[in-house]
Amino acid sequence: MKIGPINIPLKEDFSLKSILGFEKTPMNMLVAVLTLAFLAMFVVGVATYLMHGHHAYNVTREHPWGLLIAVYIFFVVSSTGFCIVGSLGDVFGFKDYMMISKRAIFGSIVTILAGFAVIAFEIGHPVTMLIYNVLSPGLTSAIWWMGTLYGIYLTFMIVEFYFLLNNNMQKARIFGLIGLLVGLAAHSNLGGVFGFLNARTISNGVFYPTYFILTAFITGIYLSFIIMGFRYKMNFDEKTKALLVGLAKIQTLLIAILMFFETWKMLTAVYGGMPNRAEVAEHIMHSGAFMYGEVLMGMLIPFTVMLLTKWRSVTTYVWTSVIGMVGIFFMRYDLVHDTQLKPLQMMKTHEYQLPPSWVEYFPSATEIMISLGGLGLCVLLYYVGTRAFNLDEEH
Amino acid sequence: MARYGMALDYKNCINCKACEVACKEENGVELGAEKHRIWVGANNPDGQWPLLDIASAAFLPSQCQHCDDAPCQEVCPTHATYYDENNVVRVDADKCILCSYCMNACPYDARYVDDRTMTVDKCTFCSDTRLARGETTTACQNTCPTKVRTFGDLDDPESEISELLRTREHFSLKSHLGTNPKLFYLT
Repeated sequence: MKIGPINIPLKEDFSLKSILGFEKTPMNMLVAVLTLAFLAMFVVGVATYLMHGHHAYNVTREHPWGLLIAVYIFFVVSSTGFCIVGSLGDVFGFKDYMMISKRAIFGSIVTILAGFAVIAFEIGHPVTMLIYNVLSPGLTSAIWWMGTLYGIYLTFMIVEFYFLLNNNMQKARIFGLIGLLVGLAAHSNLGGVFGFLNARTISNGVFYPTYFILTAFITGIYLSFIIMGFRYKMNFDEKTKALLVGLAKIQTLLIAILMFFETWKMLTAVYGGMPNRAEVAEHIMHSGAFMYGEVLMGMLIPFTVMLLTKWRSVTTYVWTSVIGMVGIFFMRYDLVHDTQLKPLQMMKTHEYQLPPSWVEYFPSATEIMISLGGLGLCVLLYYVGTRAFNLDEEH
Repeated sequence: MARYGMALDYKNCINCKACEVACKEENGVELGAEKHRIWVGANNPDGQWPLLDIASAAFLPSQCQHCDDAPCQEVCPTHATYYDENNVVRVDADKCILCSYCMNACPYDARYVDDRTMTVDKCTFCSDTRLARGETTTACQNTCPTKVRTFGDLDDPESEISELLRTREHFSLKSHLGTNPKLFYLT
Protein backbone atom coordinates (compact mmCIF):
# COMPACT_ATOMS: atom_id res chain seq x y z
CA MET A 1 0.00 0.00 0.00
CA LYS A 2 1.45 3.38 -1.00
CA ILE A 3 0.52 6.66 0.70
CA GLY A 4 2.59 9.36 -1.00
CA PRO A 5 6.24 8.51 -0.42
CA ILE A 6 5.33 5.98 2.30
CA ASN A 7 5.26 2.39 1.20
CA ILE A 8 3.57 -0.05 3.58
CA PRO A 9 4.09 -3.57 2.27
CA LEU A 10 0.85 -5.35 3.13
CA LYS A 11 0.35 -9.03 2.41
CA GLU A 12 -1.21 -9.54 -1.01
CA ASP A 13 -4.09 -11.61 0.31
CA PHE A 14 -4.90 -9.21 3.17
CA SER A 15 -8.65 -8.75 3.35
CA LEU A 16 -11.55 -9.27 5.73
CA LYS A 17 -11.75 -12.76 4.28
CA SER A 18 -8.14 -13.51 5.23
CA ILE A 19 -8.78 -12.18 8.75
CA LEU A 20 -11.79 -14.45 9.19
CA GLY A 21 -10.16 -17.34 7.36
CA PHE A 22 -8.23 -18.77 10.28
CA GLU A 23 -8.08 -22.49 10.85
CA LYS A 24 -11.16 -23.45 12.86
CA THR A 25 -9.45 -25.58 15.50
CA PRO A 26 -11.03 -25.70 18.98
CA MET A 27 -8.18 -23.63 20.41
CA ASN A 28 -8.43 -20.97 17.70
CA MET A 29 -12.19 -20.81 18.12
CA LEU A 30 -11.82 -20.45 21.88
CA VAL A 31 -9.36 -17.57 21.48
CA ALA A 32 -11.60 -15.92 18.86
CA VAL A 33 -14.72 -16.16 21.03
CA LEU A 34 -12.86 -14.93 24.11
CA THR A 35 -11.42 -11.99 22.16
CA LEU A 36 -14.85 -10.98 20.89
CA ALA A 37 -16.30 -11.37 24.39
CA PHE A 38 -13.54 -9.17 25.83
CA LEU A 39 -14.14 -6.53 23.16
CA ALA A 40 -17.86 -6.54 23.96
CA MET A 41 -16.96 -6.14 27.64
CA PHE A 42 -14.75 -3.19 26.71
CA VAL A 43 -17.70 -1.47 25.05
CA VAL A 44 -19.98 -2.12 28.04
CA GLY A 45 -17.26 -1.07 30.51
CA VAL A 46 -16.49 2.17 28.66
CA ALA A 47 -20.21 2.97 28.32
CA THR A 48 -20.67 2.45 32.07
CA TYR A 49 -17.67 4.68 32.78
CA LEU A 50 -18.95 7.42 30.47
CA MET A 51 -22.29 7.38 32.29
CA HIS A 52 -21.02 7.16 35.86
CA GLY A 53 -17.43 8.39 35.79
CA HIS A 54 -15.14 7.13 38.53
CA HIS A 55 -18.19 6.05 40.54
CA ALA A 56 -18.19 3.00 38.28
CA TYR A 57 -14.83 2.08 39.77
CA ASN A 58 -14.07 0.93 43.29
CA VAL A 59 -11.38 3.56 43.75
CA THR A 60 -11.62 5.72 46.86
CA ARG A 61 -9.93 8.66 48.51
CA GLU A 62 -7.56 6.26 50.29
CA HIS A 63 -7.07 4.00 47.25
CA PRO A 64 -7.21 6.32 44.24
CA TRP A 65 -5.35 3.97 41.89
CA GLY A 66 -7.06 0.74 40.98
CA LEU A 67 -7.01 -2.12 38.51
CA LEU A 68 -6.81 0.09 35.40
CA ILE A 69 -3.50 1.57 36.52
CA ALA A 70 -2.20 -1.97 37.12
CA VAL A 71 -3.37 -3.09 33.68
CA TYR A 72 -1.84 -0.01 32.04
CA ILE A 73 1.47 -0.89 33.70
CA PHE A 74 1.03 -4.51 32.61
CA PHE A 75 0.69 -3.45 28.96
CA VAL A 76 3.47 -0.89 28.90
CA VAL A 77 5.83 -3.31 30.65
CA SER A 78 4.93 -5.83 27.95
CA SER A 79 5.67 -3.21 25.31
CA THR A 80 9.08 -2.38 26.76
CA GLY A 81 9.80 -6.10 27.05
CA PHE A 82 8.92 -6.70 23.42
CA CYS A 83 11.10 -3.73 22.48
CA ILE A 84 14.09 -5.17 24.38
CA VAL A 85 13.68 -8.62 22.81
CA GLY A 86 13.14 -7.09 19.35
CA SER A 87 16.27 -4.98 19.76
CA LEU A 88 18.49 -7.99 20.42
CA GLY A 89 18.47 -8.78 16.70
CA ASP A 90 17.98 -5.58 14.75
CA VAL A 91 19.79 -3.16 17.09
CA PHE A 92 22.47 -5.24 18.76
CA GLY A 93 23.05 -7.56 15.82
CA PHE A 94 22.57 -10.96 17.51
CA LYS A 95 21.80 -12.97 14.39
CA ASP A 96 19.89 -15.76 16.18
CA TYR A 97 17.39 -13.19 17.46
CA MET A 98 16.88 -11.38 14.16
CA MET A 99 13.98 -13.63 13.21
CA ILE A 100 11.79 -12.34 16.06
CA SER A 101 12.66 -8.63 15.72
CA LYS A 102 9.85 -7.55 13.41
CA ARG A 103 7.25 -9.58 15.31
CA ALA A 104 8.42 -8.28 18.69
CA ILE A 105 8.50 -4.64 17.56
CA PHE A 106 4.98 -5.05 16.22
CA GLY A 107 4.05 -6.59 19.59
CA SER A 108 5.51 -3.57 21.37
CA ILE A 109 3.27 -1.28 19.31
CA VAL A 110 0.03 -3.19 19.92
CA THR A 111 0.66 -3.66 23.64
CA ILE A 112 1.32 0.01 24.25
CA LEU A 113 -1.76 0.93 22.22
CA ALA A 114 -3.80 -1.41 24.43
CA GLY A 115 -2.23 0.26 27.48
CA PHE A 116 -3.17 3.72 26.19
CA ALA A 117 -6.72 2.49 25.47
CA VAL A 118 -7.08 1.38 29.09
CA ILE A 119 -5.48 4.42 30.75
CA ALA A 120 -7.67 6.77 28.68
CA PHE A 121 -10.58 5.64 30.82
CA GLU A 122 -8.71 5.94 34.11
CA ILE A 123 -7.37 9.48 33.62
CA GLY A 124 -10.31 11.76 34.38
CA HIS A 125 -9.56 14.28 31.60
CA PRO A 126 -7.40 12.71 28.86
CA VAL A 127 -7.95 15.60 26.42
CA THR A 128 -6.93 18.16 29.05
CA MET A 129 -3.87 15.99 29.64
CA LEU A 130 -2.84 16.23 25.98
CA ILE A 131 -3.24 20.01 26.02
CA TYR A 132 -1.60 20.87 29.33
CA ASN A 133 1.10 18.25 28.98
CA VAL A 134 2.44 20.60 26.30
CA LEU A 135 1.28 24.03 27.53
CA SER A 136 2.13 23.57 31.19
CA PRO A 137 4.59 20.70 31.60
CA GLY A 138 5.30 19.54 35.15
CA LEU A 139 8.97 18.70 34.75
CA THR A 140 9.34 17.45 38.33
CA SER A 141 6.58 14.91 37.74
CA ALA A 142 7.52 11.31 36.91
CA ILE A 143 4.10 10.90 35.29
CA TRP A 144 4.85 13.76 32.89
CA TRP A 145 8.18 12.22 31.87
CA MET A 146 6.72 8.74 31.65
CA GLY A 147 3.78 9.81 29.49
CA THR A 148 5.79 12.10 27.24
CA LEU A 149 8.60 9.60 26.74
CA TYR A 150 6.12 6.80 26.01
CA GLY A 151 4.53 8.99 23.34
CA ILE A 152 7.93 9.56 21.70
CA TYR A 153 8.77 5.86 22.15
CA LEU A 154 5.62 4.80 20.31
CA THR A 155 6.53 7.07 17.40
CA PHE A 156 10.01 5.55 17.19
CA MET A 157 8.62 2.02 17.39
CA ILE A 158 6.24 2.72 14.51
CA VAL A 159 9.04 4.20 12.39
CA GLU A 160 11.34 1.29 13.25
CA PHE A 161 8.61 -1.18 12.30
CA TYR A 162 8.09 0.67 9.02
CA PHE A 163 11.78 0.34 8.13
CA LEU A 164 11.79 -3.33 9.21
CA LEU A 165 8.83 -3.97 6.90
CA ASN A 166 10.74 -2.34 4.07
CA ASN A 167 13.88 -4.27 4.94
CA ASN A 168 15.83 -1.09 5.53
CA MET A 169 17.91 -2.51 8.35
CA GLN A 170 20.25 0.44 8.73
CA LYS A 171 17.50 2.96 9.44
CA ALA A 172 15.62 0.38 11.50
CA ARG A 173 18.71 0.03 13.69
CA ILE A 174 19.01 3.80 14.26
CA PHE A 175 15.34 4.27 15.10
CA GLY A 176 15.35 1.02 17.09
CA LEU A 177 18.26 2.14 19.24
CA ILE A 178 16.77 5.57 19.95
CA GLY A 179 13.35 3.98 20.56
CA LEU A 180 14.88 1.46 22.96
CA LEU A 181 16.70 4.16 24.94
CA VAL A 182 13.59 6.35 25.10
CA GLY A 183 11.50 3.29 26.06
CA LEU A 184 13.88 2.34 28.87
CA ALA A 185 13.86 5.95 30.12
CA ALA A 186 10.06 6.02 29.98
CA HIS A 187 9.81 2.70 31.73
CA SER A 188 12.18 3.54 34.55
CA ASN A 189 10.20 6.77 34.99
CA LEU A 190 7.12 4.63 35.43
CA GLY A 191 9.01 2.91 38.25
CA GLY A 192 9.89 6.39 39.46
CA VAL A 193 6.19 7.24 39.72
CA PHE A 194 6.16 4.82 42.65
CA GLY A 195 9.78 5.27 43.73
CA PHE A 196 9.28 9.00 44.30
CA LEU A 197 6.42 8.47 46.77
CA ASN A 198 8.18 9.47 49.98
CA ALA A 199 4.95 9.01 51.91
CA ARG A 200 4.71 5.34 50.87
CA THR A 201 7.75 3.75 52.44
CA ILE A 202 7.12 0.32 50.92
CA SER A 203 7.51 1.73 47.37
CA ASN A 204 9.83 4.65 47.93
CA GLY A 205 13.40 4.32 46.70
CA VAL A 206 15.50 3.01 43.85
CA PHE A 207 13.95 -0.45 43.66
CA TYR A 208 11.05 0.06 41.25
CA PRO A 209 12.84 2.09 38.54
CA THR A 210 15.41 -0.71 38.14
CA TYR A 211 13.04 -3.62 38.84
CA PHE A 212 10.74 -2.37 36.06
CA ILE A 213 13.48 -2.74 33.46
CA LEU A 214 14.34 -6.25 34.68
CA THR A 215 10.73 -7.42 34.75
CA ALA A 216 10.14 -5.82 31.33
CA PHE A 217 12.85 -8.04 29.86
CA ILE A 218 11.32 -11.08 31.60
CA THR A 219 7.84 -10.14 30.33
CA GLY A 220 9.22 -9.68 26.82
CA ILE A 221 10.64 -13.20 26.83
CA TYR A 222 7.43 -14.75 28.20
CA LEU A 223 5.47 -12.99 25.46
CA SER A 224 8.01 -14.01 22.81
CA PHE A 225 7.42 -17.67 23.70
CA ILE A 226 3.67 -17.16 23.45
CA ILE A 227 3.72 -15.38 20.06
CA MET A 228 6.23 -17.83 18.60
CA GLY A 229 4.14 -20.76 19.85
CA PHE A 230 1.13 -19.15 18.16
CA ARG A 231 3.10 -18.50 14.97
CA TYR A 232 4.55 -22.00 14.59
CA LYS A 233 1.64 -23.89 16.19
CA MET A 234 4.16 -25.54 18.51
CA ASN A 235 6.04 -27.18 15.59
CA PHE A 236 9.28 -25.27 15.72
CA ASP A 237 12.00 -25.62 13.11
CA GLU A 238 15.62 -25.87 14.21
CA LYS A 239 16.33 -22.17 13.79
CA THR A 240 13.34 -21.17 15.88
CA LYS A 241 14.25 -23.78 18.48
CA ALA A 242 17.75 -22.30 18.72
CA LEU A 243 16.20 -18.86 19.24
CA LEU A 244 13.82 -20.08 21.94
CA VAL A 245 16.49 -22.11 23.75
CA GLY A 246 18.64 -18.97 23.84
CA LEU A 247 15.75 -16.94 25.20
CA ALA A 248 14.99 -19.64 27.80
CA LYS A 249 18.56 -19.50 29.08
CA ILE A 250 18.45 -15.71 29.35
CA GLN A 251 15.06 -15.99 31.06
CA THR A 252 16.38 -18.39 33.70
CA LEU A 253 19.16 -15.98 34.54
CA LEU A 254 16.78 -13.01 34.65
CA ILE A 255 14.30 -14.79 36.93
CA ALA A 256 17.16 -15.79 39.21
CA ILE A 257 18.20 -12.12 39.42
CA LEU A 258 14.58 -11.11 40.04
CA MET A 259 14.23 -13.63 42.88
CA PHE A 260 17.47 -12.28 44.36
CA PHE A 261 16.15 -8.70 44.09
CA GLU A 262 12.76 -9.59 45.60
CA THR A 263 14.34 -11.51 48.47
CA TRP A 264 16.50 -8.55 49.43
CA LYS A 265 13.66 -6.12 48.97
CA MET A 266 11.54 -8.05 51.44
CA LEU A 267 14.42 -8.67 53.86
CA THR A 268 15.35 -5.00 53.99
CA ALA A 269 11.67 -4.04 54.31
CA VAL A 270 11.08 -6.33 57.29
CA TYR A 271 14.45 -5.92 59.01
CA GLY A 272 14.37 -3.75 62.10
CA GLY A 273 10.57 -3.59 62.15
CA MET A 274 10.45 -0.04 60.80
CA PRO A 275 6.90 1.31 61.25
CA ASN A 276 4.82 1.54 58.07
CA ARG A 277 7.33 -0.51 56.08
CA ALA A 278 7.86 -3.77 57.95
CA GLU A 279 4.19 -4.36 58.71
CA VAL A 280 3.24 -3.66 55.09
CA ALA A 281 5.90 -6.08 53.83
CA GLU A 282 4.66 -8.77 56.22
CA HIS A 283 1.10 -8.16 55.11
CA ILE A 284 2.17 -8.52 51.47
CA MET A 285 4.02 -11.75 52.15
CA HIS A 286 0.90 -13.24 53.71
CA SER A 287 -1.27 -12.42 50.71
CA GLY A 288 -2.19 -15.05 48.12
CA ALA A 289 -1.70 -12.62 45.25
CA PHE A 290 1.95 -12.27 46.20
CA MET A 291 2.78 -15.86 47.18
CA TYR A 292 0.78 -17.75 44.56
CA GLY A 293 0.57 -15.06 41.89
CA GLU A 294 3.89 -13.26 41.88
CA VAL A 295 6.22 -15.79 43.40
CA LEU A 296 4.81 -19.15 42.33
CA MET A 297 3.38 -18.32 38.90
CA GLY A 298 5.57 -15.39 37.96
CA MET A 299 8.88 -16.84 39.05
CA LEU A 300 9.11 -20.28 40.63
CA ILE A 301 7.10 -22.42 38.16
CA PRO A 302 8.75 -21.11 34.96
CA PHE A 303 12.17 -21.07 36.61
CA THR A 304 11.90 -24.63 37.96
CA VAL A 305 10.53 -26.02 34.70
CA MET A 306 13.35 -24.46 32.69
CA LEU A 307 15.98 -25.76 35.10
CA LEU A 308 14.55 -29.28 35.28
CA THR A 309 14.18 -29.61 31.50
CA LYS A 310 17.61 -28.07 30.92
CA TRP A 311 16.28 -25.60 28.33
CA ARG A 312 15.38 -28.38 25.86
CA SER A 313 11.59 -28.44 26.01
CA VAL A 314 10.64 -25.20 24.26
CA THR A 315 7.02 -26.31 23.73
CA THR A 316 6.59 -26.59 27.50
CA TYR A 317 7.99 -23.09 27.92
CA VAL A 318 5.16 -21.67 25.83
CA TRP A 319 2.73 -22.94 28.46
CA THR A 320 4.90 -21.94 31.41
CA SER A 321 5.12 -18.50 29.80
CA VAL A 322 1.32 -18.26 29.90
CA ILE A 323 1.53 -19.07 33.62
CA GLY A 324 4.39 -16.59 33.91
CA MET A 325 2.28 -13.84 32.35
CA VAL A 326 -0.48 -14.45 34.91
CA GLY A 327 2.23 -14.02 37.53
CA ILE A 328 3.41 -10.82 35.83
CA PHE A 329 -0.16 -9.48 36.00
CA PHE A 330 -0.20 -10.11 39.75
CA MET A 331 3.16 -8.32 40.04
CA ARG A 332 1.58 -5.21 38.52
CA TYR A 333 -1.62 -5.49 40.54
CA ASP A 334 0.28 -6.00 43.79
CA LEU A 335 2.61 -3.13 43.02
CA VAL A 336 -0.31 -0.71 42.73
CA HIS A 337 -2.38 -2.13 45.58
CA ASP A 338 0.48 -2.66 48.03
CA THR A 339 1.66 0.93 47.58
CA GLN A 340 -1.70 2.10 48.94
CA LEU A 341 -2.20 -0.58 51.60
CA LYS A 342 -1.29 1.52 54.59
CA PRO A 343 -3.77 4.27 55.51
CA LEU A 344 -2.06 7.63 55.81
CA GLN A 345 -4.43 8.81 58.54
CA MET A 346 -4.20 6.42 61.47
CA MET A 347 -6.64 8.26 63.68
CA LYS A 348 -10.38 7.86 63.78
CA THR A 349 -11.85 10.57 61.58
CA HIS A 350 -15.55 9.69 61.75
CA GLU A 351 -17.53 8.95 64.86
CA TYR A 352 -18.35 5.31 65.53
CA GLN A 353 -15.76 4.14 63.02
CA LEU A 354 -12.43 2.69 64.02
CA PRO A 355 -9.39 3.65 61.99
CA PRO A 356 -8.74 0.96 59.36
CA SER A 357 -5.65 -1.21 59.68
CA TRP A 358 -5.43 -1.71 55.92
CA VAL A 359 -7.03 -0.05 52.95
CA GLU A 360 -9.26 -2.58 51.20
CA TYR A 361 -9.77 -2.69 47.44
CA PHE A 362 -11.30 -5.06 44.96
CA PRO A 363 -11.93 -3.99 41.36
CA SER A 364 -15.48 -3.30 40.21
CA ALA A 365 -17.13 -5.13 37.29
CA THR A 366 -16.55 -2.05 35.10
CA GLU A 367 -12.85 -2.00 35.88
CA ILE A 368 -12.58 -5.72 35.13
CA MET A 369 -14.50 -5.35 31.85
CA ILE A 370 -12.32 -2.48 30.61
CA SER A 371 -9.18 -4.41 31.61
CA LEU A 372 -10.24 -7.57 29.79
CA GLY A 373 -11.24 -5.33 26.90
CA GLY A 374 -7.67 -4.06 26.75
CA LEU A 375 -6.49 -7.66 26.46
CA GLY A 376 -9.06 -8.33 23.72
CA LEU A 377 -7.92 -5.23 21.86
CA CYS A 378 -4.30 -6.30 22.13
CA VAL A 379 -5.01 -9.82 20.80
CA LEU A 380 -7.19 -8.46 17.96
CA LEU A 381 -4.62 -5.88 16.85
CA TYR A 382 -1.83 -8.44 16.96
CA TYR A 383 -3.86 -11.00 15.01
CA VAL A 384 -4.84 -8.45 12.34
CA GLY A 385 -1.15 -7.50 12.14
CA THR A 386 -0.14 -11.09 11.47
CA ARG A 387 -2.64 -11.13 8.60
CA ALA A 388 -1.66 -7.73 7.24
CA PHE A 389 2.13 -7.81 7.48
CA ASN A 390 4.83 -10.35 6.90
CA LEU A 391 6.25 -10.52 10.41
CA ASP A 392 8.75 -13.28 9.60
CA GLU A 393 12.38 -12.59 8.89
CA GLU A 394 13.08 -11.85 5.26
CA HIS A 395 16.31 -13.00 3.65
CA MET B 1 2.16 38.83 49.28
CA ALA B 2 2.03 36.74 52.39
CA ARG B 3 3.09 33.31 53.53
CA TYR B 4 0.02 31.99 55.21
CA GLY B 5 0.16 29.30 57.86
CA MET B 6 -1.88 28.05 60.77
CA ALA B 7 -1.07 27.23 64.38
CA LEU B 8 -3.29 24.75 66.20
CA ASP B 9 -3.57 24.67 69.95
CA TYR B 10 -4.83 21.13 69.46
CA LYS B 11 -5.14 20.22 73.13
CA ASN B 12 -8.04 22.66 73.34
CA CYS B 13 -9.99 20.75 70.68
CA ILE B 14 -13.25 19.29 71.99
CA ASN B 15 -14.12 17.45 68.75
CA CYS B 16 -17.33 19.40 68.24
CA LYS B 17 -16.67 19.33 64.46
CA ALA B 18 -17.92 22.87 64.00
CA CYS B 19 -14.83 23.49 61.87
CA GLU B 20 -15.76 20.64 59.51
CA VAL B 21 -19.28 22.02 59.14
CA ALA B 22 -18.10 25.62 58.68
CA CYS B 23 -15.61 24.55 56.03
CA LYS B 24 -18.26 22.66 54.07
CA GLU B 25 -20.71 25.55 54.35
CA GLU B 26 -18.28 28.34 53.50
CA ASN B 27 -16.53 26.61 50.63
CA GLY B 28 -19.44 24.62 49.25
CA VAL B 29 -17.73 21.28 49.84
CA GLU B 30 -19.85 18.31 48.78
CA LEU B 31 -21.68 16.32 51.40
CA GLY B 32 -20.47 12.83 52.27
CA ALA B 33 -17.87 11.43 54.63
CA GLU B 34 -15.20 11.06 51.93
CA LYS B 35 -15.56 14.64 50.74
CA HIS B 36 -13.81 16.72 53.34
CA ARG B 37 -11.12 19.37 53.27
CA ILE B 38 -10.55 19.32 56.99
CA TRP B 39 -11.14 16.75 59.69
CA VAL B 40 -10.71 16.02 63.39
CA GLY B 41 -8.69 12.93 64.13
CA ALA B 42 -9.54 11.16 67.37
CA ASN B 43 -7.18 8.88 69.21
CA ASN B 44 -8.78 6.39 71.55
CA PRO B 45 -6.93 6.13 74.87
CA ASP B 46 -4.21 3.48 74.85
CA GLY B 47 -4.09 0.73 77.50
CA GLN B 48 -6.65 -1.38 79.37
CA TRP B 49 -9.03 -0.28 82.11
CA PRO B 50 -8.13 0.86 84.73
CA LEU B 51 -4.64 1.59 83.44
CA LEU B 52 -5.77 3.88 80.63
CA ASP B 53 -3.30 6.37 79.25
CA ILE B 54 -5.51 9.42 79.45
CA ALA B 55 -2.90 11.68 77.84
CA SER B 56 -3.03 9.59 74.66
CA ALA B 57 -6.74 10.32 74.13
CA ALA B 58 -6.25 13.41 72.04
CA PHE B 59 -8.11 15.11 69.22
CA LEU B 60 -6.01 16.22 66.32
CA PRO B 61 -7.71 18.64 63.94
CA SER B 62 -6.03 18.60 60.56
CA GLN B 63 -6.19 19.51 56.89
CA CYS B 64 -3.82 20.24 54.01
CA GLN B 65 -0.53 21.28 55.58
CA HIS B 66 0.23 23.77 52.78
CA CYS B 67 3.79 22.45 52.74
CA ASP B 68 6.58 24.71 51.57
CA ASP B 69 7.93 21.67 49.69
CA ALA B 70 4.64 20.02 48.78
CA PRO B 71 4.95 16.53 47.24
CA CYS B 72 1.55 17.02 45.58
CA GLN B 73 2.88 20.05 43.71
CA GLU B 74 6.07 18.28 42.65
CA VAL B 75 4.29 15.25 41.20
CA CYS B 76 1.59 17.13 39.27
CA PRO B 77 2.20 16.53 35.54
CA THR B 78 0.37 19.67 34.34
CA HIS B 79 1.11 22.20 37.10
CA ALA B 80 -2.55 22.05 38.10
CA THR B 81 -1.28 22.12 41.68
CA TYR B 82 0.55 25.37 42.28
CA TYR B 83 1.50 27.92 44.92
CA ASP B 84 -0.55 31.08 44.76
CA GLU B 85 0.83 34.54 45.60
CA ASN B 86 0.26 33.85 49.30
CA ASN B 87 2.14 30.53 49.22
CA VAL B 88 -1.11 28.63 49.57
CA VAL B 89 -1.14 25.25 47.76
CA ARG B 90 -4.00 25.44 45.26
CA VAL B 91 -5.50 23.33 42.45
CA ASP B 92 -6.34 24.85 39.06
CA ALA B 93 -9.38 22.79 38.09
CA ASP B 94 -8.94 23.71 34.42
CA LYS B 95 -5.54 22.03 34.31
CA CYS B 96 -6.29 19.03 36.56
CA ILE B 97 -6.43 15.79 34.55
CA LEU B 98 -7.47 13.64 37.53
CA CYS B 99 -4.50 11.28 37.36
CA SER B 100 -4.74 11.13 41.18
CA TYR B 101 -0.95 11.15 41.57
CA CYS B 102 -1.20 14.02 44.07
CA MET B 103 -3.66 12.02 46.18
CA ASN B 104 -1.12 9.23 46.39
CA ALA B 105 1.82 11.54 46.98
CA CYS B 106 0.24 13.63 49.74
CA PRO B 107 1.45 12.17 53.06
CA TYR B 108 -1.54 13.66 54.89
CA ASP B 109 -4.49 12.26 52.90
CA ALA B 110 -5.59 15.86 52.42
CA ARG B 111 -7.01 15.54 48.90
CA TYR B 112 -10.22 14.15 47.48
CA VAL B 113 -12.12 14.18 44.20
CA ASP B 114 -14.83 16.79 43.73
CA ASP B 115 -17.50 14.92 41.79
CA ARG B 116 -18.98 18.11 40.34
CA THR B 117 -15.84 19.12 38.48
CA MET B 118 -14.20 15.68 38.45
CA THR B 119 -10.97 17.25 39.65
CA VAL B 120 -8.97 17.02 42.83
CA ASP B 121 -9.95 19.42 45.59
CA LYS B 122 -8.38 20.41 48.91
CA CYS B 123 -8.18 23.10 51.57
CA THR B 124 -7.42 26.57 50.16
CA PHE B 125 -7.28 28.46 53.46
CA CYS B 126 -10.60 29.93 52.25
CA SER B 127 -8.72 31.84 49.52
CA ASP B 128 -11.68 31.80 47.13
CA THR B 129 -14.19 32.83 49.75
CA ARG B 130 -13.28 34.63 52.96
CA LEU B 131 -9.84 35.89 51.95
CA ALA B 132 -11.22 36.99 48.56
CA ARG B 133 -13.79 39.08 50.44
CA GLY B 134 -11.02 40.76 52.40
CA GLU B 135 -11.52 38.88 55.63
CA THR B 136 -8.49 37.76 57.57
CA THR B 137 -9.68 34.54 59.12
CA THR B 138 -10.59 31.12 57.76
CA ALA B 139 -14.02 29.59 58.33
CA CYS B 140 -12.65 26.84 60.57
CA GLN B 141 -10.79 29.36 62.70
CA ASN B 142 -13.71 31.74 62.92
CA THR B 143 -16.15 29.13 64.14
CA CYS B 144 -13.96 27.28 66.64
CA PRO B 145 -15.48 27.69 70.13
CA THR B 146 -12.24 26.93 71.96
CA LYS B 147 -9.99 29.03 69.68
CA VAL B 148 -7.81 26.12 68.59
CA ARG B 149 -6.75 27.74 65.32
CA THR B 150 -4.70 30.83 64.60
CA PHE B 151 -4.31 31.77 60.97
CA GLY B 152 -1.92 34.40 59.68
CA ASP B 153 1.15 35.54 57.80
CA LEU B 154 4.29 33.69 58.84
CA ASP B 155 6.48 36.35 57.22
CA ASP B 156 4.96 39.13 59.31
CA PRO B 157 6.84 39.22 62.63
CA GLU B 158 3.98 41.19 64.20
CA SER B 159 1.29 38.63 63.31
CA GLU B 160 -0.39 36.61 66.05
CA ILE B 161 0.80 33.34 64.54
CA SER B 162 4.42 34.51 64.43
CA GLU B 163 4.15 35.54 68.05
CA LEU B 164 2.68 32.15 68.98
CA LEU B 165 5.39 30.23 67.16
CA ARG B 166 8.07 32.34 68.85
CA THR B 167 6.71 31.77 72.32
CA ARG B 168 5.21 28.29 72.25
CA GLU B 169 6.84 24.95 71.51
CA HIS B 170 5.32 23.30 68.48
CA PHE B 171 5.68 20.39 66.08
CA SER B 172 4.61 19.52 62.54
CA LEU B 173 3.13 16.30 61.22
CA LYS B 174 5.48 13.89 59.39
CA SER B 175 8.18 16.54 59.35
CA HIS B 176 10.78 13.82 58.70
CA LEU B 177 9.52 13.69 55.11
CA GLY B 178 10.99 17.13 54.43
CA THR B 179 7.71 18.65 53.35
CA ASN B 180 8.06 21.72 55.60
CA PRO B 181 4.38 22.00 56.55
CA LYS B 182 2.87 25.38 57.41
CA LEU B 183 0.52 23.85 59.97
CA PHE B 184 2.01 23.94 63.44
CA TYR B 185 0.75 22.04 66.46
CA LEU B 186 1.33 23.92 69.71
CA THR B 187 2.35 21.87 72.73
